[in-house]
Amino acid sequence: MAGLVSTNTFWSLWLFVHLILAVGLLGALTHQAMAVALPVRRPAGGIVTRFRAVPAAGYATAVCVLWVLTFLVGSYIYTKYRIYIRIPLEQTGHYKTGGFFDFKEHVASIGLTLLPAYWYFWKNAQNAEYDNARKGVTLVLAVMCWFLFIVGHVLNNTRGFAS
Amino acid sequence: MSTATAANSRTAPSALAASSKFKAFATTFSITGPVVYCLTQFFNWPLFTYHPATDRLVWGYEAARPGEGPNMLWYGWTVTTILVAAGLGIVVIMLPERISGKMPLALVWIFPILTIPYVIYSLMPWWTHP
Repeated sequence: MAGLVSTNTFWSLWLFVHLILAVGLLGALTHQAMAVALPVRRPAGGIVTRFRAVPAAGYATAVCVLWVLTFLVGSYIYTKYRIYIRIPLEQTGHYKTGGFFDFKEHVASIGLTLLPAYWYFWKNAQNAEYDNARKGVTLVLAVMCWFLFIVGHVLNNTRGFAS
Repeated sequence: MSTATAANSRTAPSALAASSKFKAFATTFSITGPVVYCLTQFFNWPLFTYHPATDRLVWGYEAARPGEGPNMLWYGWTVTTILVAAGLGIVVIMLPERISGKMPLALVWIFPILTIPYVIYSLMPWWTHP
């Protein structure tokens, strides 16, 4: 990419890719979480009902792939965060903001370890034995994803694109 | 899931998803993963340390060196966690199914919730910094 775009643009583009993947993941997990938490008994209805009435099992592989891709891209740009974002955050006294980023990295790793069981439970959606575990792990992953997304968004507002 | 959504969900599992060995591996990996991560972080057992300013990778833990910028441990903690959890998963695969099948599946979502207070506590220097 040398010569095509500036260094700032290069890293901003990767941050943007991270954001796009995260949006996809958030959408898929939210659909799924709604489908298991508030299952639809009649397929017709308003927008909220239709939002909940997705074929949730079909999202499982996509969620795993998106979580891993978002994680990998986040890991790649993390090196720049450590030097060019976190150090200025500390120098300007934004300790809680920095703390929430570290919280985010821990949650992302813990979420990553849940994916094999999550995938297994969803790929065996016909087995009622896994219903509770599937519901629990899906809701936990959805809450984690929202947390990661919001912290990333706030952090980007503090010092993100083109900073 | 006796719902319209569930009806769409109940398709036949693939060979991998139908495997009892994969079930043992996946559930063990996911149950132990959050706990292993917290232990790895608490005892500071990164598989490697990365120094981003100098682009240097070192096996195990290495403190930040003067004039060389910060060190990064999170990559090493995560890889340690994946390897240990995978190792535990492989061990459980080798156990008889009557033992491996007894793991409470609810631990897959209970353990990550229980790790959150520890994670918040481990970040105390950030929260209490004057």
